[in-house]
This record gives sequence, structure tokens and C-alpha cells, in this order.
Amino acid sequence: MNKKPLAALGIALAAILATTGCGSAGSPEASSNEKVTIRYSNFTSNGGNEKNLDTIVQAFQKANPNITVQVTTLPYKDYATALQTDLAAGTQADTFDIEYANLRSYVSNGAVAPLEGVDSSKYKQSLLQSYQSDGKQYALPSSFSDVVLYYNKALFDAAKVAYPTSSWTWADETAAAKKITDSAAGVFGDFQNVSFYEFYKALAQTGGKFLNDDGKSVAFNSPQGIKAAEWLAGKSGTTMPTPAQGAGTPDFDTKLFKDGKLGMLHSGIWVASSFADSPKNWDIVVEPGDTQKASAEFSNAIAIAANSKNKAAAQKWAEYMTSSDVMAQTRISAGWELPATSDESFLKPYLAKDKPANRKAIFDALDHVALTPVIGDNQQKMVDIITNALGEVEAKRSTASDALKGAADQINALLK
Amino acid sequence: MRKFPRLIALNILVVVGAAVMVFPFLWALVTSISPGAGLSATPQLVPENPSLSAYAELLQRLPFVQIVLNSLILAVLTTVFQLATSSLAAYVFSRMPFKGRNAVFAVYLATMMVPLQVLVVPLFVEMKSLGLINTYLGVLLPGIASAFGVFLLRQAMNSVPTDLDQAATLDGAGHFRIFGLIVLPLVRPALATLTVFAFLNSWNSFLWPLIILRTPGMKTLPVALAGLQGQYTTQWDIVMAGSVVSVLPMLALYIFTQKYIIQGVAGTGLK
Amino acid sequence: MTTVGNSKPGILSVTNARKLNPAPIRRKAAPRLRYALTVGLFLLPSALPLLFFTIVPMVSAFWISLNQWNLVGPMKWVGLDNYARLVTDPGTQGAFLHTVYYIVGYLPLVYSGGLAIALALNTRIKGRSMLRGLYFLPVVTSWIVVALVWRWLLNPSTGIVNWLLGLIGIAGPGWWTDPAWSMPAIILASAWKDLGFVMVILLAGLQAIPEELYEAATVDGAGPWRRLFSITLPMLSPSTFFVIVLSLINGFQVFDQVYAMTGGGPNNSSQVVVQQIYDLTFRYGKAGEASALSWLLFLFILVITLIQVRGQKKWVNYA
Repeated sequence: MNKKPLAALGIALAAILATTGCGSAGSPEASSNEKVTIRYSNFTSNGGNEKNLDTIVQAFQKANPNITVQVTTLPYKDYATALQTDLAAGTQADTFDIEYANLRSYVSNGAVAPLEGVDSSKYKQSLLQSYQSDGKQYALPSSFSDVVLYYNKALFDAAKVAYPTSSWTWADETAAAKKITDSAAGVFGDFQNVSFYEFYKALAQTGGKFLNDDGKSVAFNSPQGIKAAEWLAGKSGTTMPTPAQGAGTPDFDTKLFKDGKLGMLHSGIWVASSFADSPKNWDIVVEPGDTQKASAEFSNAIAIAANSKNKAAAQKWAEYMTSSDVMAQTRISAGWELPATSDESFLKPYLAKDKPANRKAIFDALDHVALTPVIGDNQQKMVDIITNALGEVEAKRSTASDALKGAADQINALLK
Repeated sequence: MRKFPRLIALNILVVVGAAVMVFPFLWALVTSISPGAGLSATPQLVPENPSLSAYAELLQRLPFVQIVLNSLILAVLTTVFQLATSSLAAYVFSRMPFKGRNAVFAVYLATMMVPLQVLVVPLFVEMKSLGLINTYLGVLLPGIASAFGVFLLRQAMNSVPTDLDQAATLDGAGHFRIFGLIVLPLVRPALATLTVFAFLNSWNSFLWPLIILRTPGMKTLPVALAGLQGQYTTQWDIVMAGSVVSVLPMLALYIFTQKYIIQGVAGTGLK
Repeated sequence: MTTVGNSKPGILSVTNARKLNPAPIRRKAAPRLRYALTVGLFLLPSALPLLFFTIVPMVSAFWISLNQWNLVGPMKWVGLDNYARLVTDPGTQGAFLHTVYYIVGYLPLVYSGGLAIALALNTRIKGRSMLRGLYFLPVVTSWIVVALVWRWLLNPSTGIVNWLLGLIGIAGPGWWTDPAWSMPAIILASAWKDLGFVMVILLAGLQAIPEELYEAATVDGAGPWRRLFSITLPMLSPSTFFVIVLSLINGFQVFDQVYAMTGGGPNNSSQVVVQQIYDLTFRYGKAGEASALSWLLFLFILVITLIQVRGQKKWVNYA
């Protein structure tokens, strides 16, 4: 029991020595001449930002010639399973991406190492705190992002529909989507994934709740829940492509938008960097709500494996990847996700960039955030249960009320 | 004259059937040289701008030679081990009676009912405690013995008359010599069958290597290919290029060994 | 048998005893030991792996199944809770149902297809060995390749199968995107892959049927269908039995094609038992439940095997 804090203290001391460059020849952890290789496993750079990650890695290695960072990038779809398998095998990378929703279970399993000696002043406090548990820091927030509504101006012009504004509601979105949809030309009005991540947000937009206040049972099996499920599933096949038409495969929606065949797209700001000039004229706006506004905010963080042999070097990299200027500038100039740093001066050039013009929407969306419901160890199971239930509604194999009732029963059983 | 139309019908059946068998391979080949395949609902039966760009991209992303070698070495080792362990055990069950032999043989047969696929969780835990996760030895070990192989070779050895053994025993030959010099050469067809099964099973095995090999460079061919799909979800030309490249080594081997492979498989159905 | 006690005392008898007795004992004991050693030496190379990589894991699976464990943190004893949960879990019931669906859909398809081709190739048709080679090609191809290629062929929006169906005025289904079609898509691809294998087994069986039987039947005036049902199929029953046994063993552990074609989706519509074991363990961190599921599958396989062995005597004809 007493060994852990001591070891952590030792590591922290070593880390401090290493970072301040005072490493005396005697202490093995701090011998800064020793070459080490640390591994970093991530999903955040997959699908277009691999080069940006490489830029940061190169800069880090230049600043720390003794540390080599070996990067493994996996698609988001495969990441959770791969990480779980690696954790089970004890073969996880020294540093790896984690999502806020999974932190609790990693901490309770002792899979991630507590971090000490982190300069907390460098981080956005709210984000930093969300990766703490029992007063210890278990991961460093690397970025945050939210979901906005992308729209293709040319398609709006062609259909003679006014551009979306921040005061739009679901009804406005539906009306516009219907006008833009032109199945003969292969043009669709709207795209929103029929999944857990859209559902809890839509639920908030229509005034519903996902979990009851005590967190011991679900509350989505409600009229609002049914409305949210029908809102999402009802798009499919009318204003939105069906799974048979390709919906659901990871880069299908962004491709459709790039090809100028999609009027509106609900997606995270991380896809913005891949749009650039295709389609020619596009912008973003805060997502429409129903009875109220609600946007999804996500953050990613980097944790250090509890069994890493190079914790000091790993933490050095994790700190660099989450708080360095190079990292912040690279993210900003590429339009990747936003750095979770306290220094917001980086954001100025970001806001001044020309495309998308309405970058302010990214920050406006943060005024009304719908937080991801978190239930601990069964998180992934819950996500899959909801997504599958919505899929049944989308495929018209089940009514929204039946599907949600079934999902509620299953998730309540997990919460017991 | 009644036979004539029937023969035509048979011919049509097998030729159409063979076309159905081959077409998917051809279509994979066509797709792999059609950049941008999968974007339009009208397939290009003959690629308009054939290009090898998908292959270039693929070879840049995957250490293909390494991956093929990984699979090949594992398949060869698995086959060699299975042949050795199975034939030795089969010899005992066919030629060396002892008390409780039938019970032991029954246990062997019972293990056939428990496929490796179902044991991945406890095996994973076992390999972890042995420190064999992410090693080729860990991939190899669960497959070095095969109850099916023992069964197959025992059947074959049982059908070899024992006169020769007895003559050899009178000449003072021991079991090792009888096994190696008399019985083994006589069950060559069954050994060939087992070779085919063992090699194919290892070459194509997926779940176990998927779980136990964690480093990308160590992956086997099926695992690496399955990973391609996650990365290039809408770039079918690249996914198909991967499929084509991975079929080639096996196809080359198959063309030369076809006769033996098919004979080997045919042998299993006959008691 | 020693006779020392009964013989007269005396030098001669002692030397006799020495001559008669120790020698046979040495000759007997040593070969017996050597025999046992040889048996051990021959058996151990296969017995040890089977023990350590099949039997030990089976036992440890049972132990794991009595616990809640995500393979990372500590184990927590839960007794038979995992079994109780699985039996009532719609996901598990679905996985068993889909596995049975797979076998029931696949077996008749691959058997009738394989038999038709085997019968056709069992005539004096031209290019027989080449055709046989072509049919067998998918058998030597890895499941992952087959699944990727079929996923592409059956792509609902840009696949060639739906395009061809469109040419004759049929709107192709959503194959792997439609919950109602995901299992048929997997069954179709599986039957395609294994057709050649079944064909080769049946062809070998057909060639072993004595020609005289047909000649006699023809003389008696039996037509081609009659000959098929009263000679070919009964005589082929050992090969048929072999195909069924193998298909069942493979069917219960169906995984690769499901993983690569649908991942068990959409909406779990093609979730099979092994995929469920994999997901439970490596996606949801529930190794205990996964191990309990393994044991349920063992029991299921055991029951099916017993039924097979019983039924086999009734219809399989070992001439």
C-alpha cells in the first residue's frame, strides 16, 4: 500500500530532474544521456491529421534528442478494442489516447499511472480537472472539440433556401433538408449519424435527460427520447442516405460533403481540416435545437501506462503533446481539434482564418454543452446498445418506443 | 439421343459454376487497378484508366514481404510440428497397445470438439502468464498438436497390414525403426492430407493471431488485411489490391500442388 | 514364477535358479520399461500440447467464468451469476440463434451445390481436372480475403451484384447494411468458399461407388433420379456424414467471415457465438461472461455431437 505513492514520488522527482536538466549521473531514471524509445498509440490523428502529428513528434524529438517517439495510429472504430486487448495483454504503448468517458474504468483497473509534477497552469482548468480522480491527475487533456452544423452554400442557393442561423430549430433544418434533397442528382439535404453520440445530444436538445439524477437508472425512455430517436432515424431514407447507400462507413459523410452532394452535415470540428476548398463555399453554424440548444463537447487526453518502463520520458512526451506551443500552433494552423491550453492567444489567428468564416460558432456551441453520459465499466456496452436500438428504428424493424424500452431495460441491468 | 441434352445441361452447369467461382477473383483484380473504384454505382467492367497506384500505396503502407514471411514461416512450422506429433501418437494408437489406451484415445478425440476459437480467452490468459503474448511462439504453440491429425493418421496406419512390422520385429527392429522405415512411408497419402490441412489452417488462421500479436510489424497476412479495411473504408481499389497480393503466394503454390492438395482432401472423406 | 522355494537345496539348484529366474525377469522388466518409455516418448509431443492448450484452458475457462474480470484489474468472484445473466441475455440468445441460422442456411446450400457439381464432374466431361481446380480455388484462399472480396461484390450501393440485379429489374437488398440480409450475405459467401471442398469430398465418394450397381439398376429399368436416390445417395452417406460433421464443427466456431464482413452487425443481426466471445472479452472487458459463454457452447456442441453419433447409425451406410 505504501509502495505506490513512494514509487510515484520517485518517478515524479526523476521527472523533475529530467525536465530541469539537472540529471546527475548517479540516478538511473534521470540519466538524460540514455536513449529511450517510447510508444504513443492514438486515434486522434487518424483520417487526415497524421502529418500534423508527425510535425509535433519531430519537434519533440529535436528538443529531446534522447527520446524517440514511436507512433501507432488506429482508426477510431478499432481503437477501443485494440487498447482493451493491449491493456489485457500488458502490451499497451507507454502513452495512449483516452476518452473522458473511459477514464473511470482505466483508473479503477490501475491501468493508467497517476501523473505528478504537471504544470497545471498550462492547461484549461475545466478540462484538466475532468481527468482527475481522488485528487490525482490521471491523464493530460490534449484537445477539445465540439460538433457543429456544416453547410454547403451552393446547395442552399440552388434550392433557394436561406442559410442556417444560430436560431434555427429542428423544424427549420427539416424544411431546408427536404428542399435541398434531390435524389435524381444524388444530392442529400442532411447527414447526422444515427448513433449514441448524436442521440444523447438530440435528447438534450428536446429537453430530455439520459440518466436519472442518481445515475442508477436511465431516463431516456421518455416522450423526449422517442422524439429524439425519431428525429435521427426519420432522416434516413428521406433527406439522408440510408446505410445501404453507404451511411455509417466512417468517411462516407465527409466524402459526400466534399463532393458537393450534401447540404448539411452534423460533424465534429476535426473534419474541417479536410474540407479546405471542397466544396467551394461552405460554412458552419451552431447546431439547431428543438426546445433548447445543446452541443456535444468532446475532449481527448493522453494517459501513461501504469507499467511503462520509461514513465519520465513518457510524461515528457505527454506534456509536450498536450501543452507545448508547437502542438498548439500545429493544431491551430491545421484546423485540427483545439489545444486544451490555458493560453488562449493561439486562438486569435484561428478565429481570424477565413474558412469557415463563422468560426465563432465553435465557441458559441460551448455555451450549451450536453455532456456525454458516463456509467463506468459498461460504457462501451451502453454506447453499442443505444446505437443498435437506433439502428433498429432506422431500419424500421422496431418503433422508437419499443427500441428505447428494450435499450432501457438492458442498460438498467448494467447499472445494477 | 436422350443423353445429348443432358450432357449439354451438365456442361452449362459446370461452366457457369466455374465462372461464378472465378469471377470474384477477377473482379477483385479489375477493381484493384481502377482508381476511384467504389465511388460510382455503375461498375467499370473494363477500367478506363488502369493504374497500379493502389498497389503502390499499399506497399508503402504495409511491410508486405515481412507479413507474407511471417505467415509462411508460421504455417511451415505448424505443419512440421503437426506432422511429427500426430504421426508419433497415431503409431501408438495403431500399433502399441497398453492398458487404458482406448480411454486416452477417447480424450484425444474429445479435444476435437473443442475448437481453439472458443478457447481464446483462457489461452490468452495462459500465454500472458507464460510471457508469450506478442511472440511467434505464442501463436505457434496451441497449434503444434492436432487431434484431427492423430485420428487421420491412425486410420491410415490401421489399414496398413501388420505383416511387415512382424517381419521387421523378427529381424530385431524396434518401434522407432518400424515407425520410421515401414509405417510412415506407407501412409504417405494421409501425411500429404494432413500437410494440406495443417498448412491451410495456419496460413488462414485469424482470430488467435489477431489477439496475440500486438506489434503491427509482426502481424500475419489475414490480420494485416483485415486492418486494411478499417483504414480504407471507401477506397476499394486499395482493399482489393491487398486481397490480390495476398492471394498470389498461395495461388502460386496451389497451381503446382493442386493435384496433391485435392487428392489429400479427397482422402479424408473416405474411411 | 519363481520355483526356488520348491527346489531342493543345493549348489546346483541355486545356480539353476540363478540361471532360470533373474534372466527372464531382466528380459521382461527391461522391455516393459522400454515399451512404456517408448509409448510415452511417442505420445508426449502431442499429449502435452493438447493438455496445456486445450484441457487446461477449458478448466481455467470454467474458473474464469465464475468471476467478473476484465483481464486488467482484479478478479471478483460472482459464482454462477455470469451463466444466469447469459441465459436471459437477448444478445447471447441472438448469438446462438444466428449461429444455428448460419448452419441451417449454409449446410443445405453447400451440400446441394457441391453434390450437383460433383455429379456433373463425375461424368466424362471435358477439362475435368481444370474445372475441379477452379472450384477448389476459394478453399485455399484465406477467409479474410474472401470476406473482403464478397463485401465488395455485395456492396449495397456500388457492388456489382446489386448492379447486375438492377439490370434485370431487381432492386438489390442492403446485404451487409440491412439486418434482414446480413446473415444471408455471410451464408452465401461461406457456401461459395466451401463449395469446392464439399465437391472434392463427394466426388471421391462417388468414384468409390462400384459401377456394377448402376449397371444392374439400369437393367432393372431405374431412371436417373431413381438411381440418384436409391444408389448414389445411400452409397454416399459416409461422405455426407463427414461433410455434415465437419460443417457442424466449423459452423459453431464461425468467426472470420462474420468479423470481416459485418463485424456482427448491423444491430447485432449477424452476431455469432465466437464473435460474441471476442466482443465480450476485448470490447466490453467481460472475460468472465465470455468464458461462461464458451462453456455454454461446449455443452451445446456436446449435445449436438451425441445426437449425431446416435443418428449416424440409422442412416450412414458403411459398406
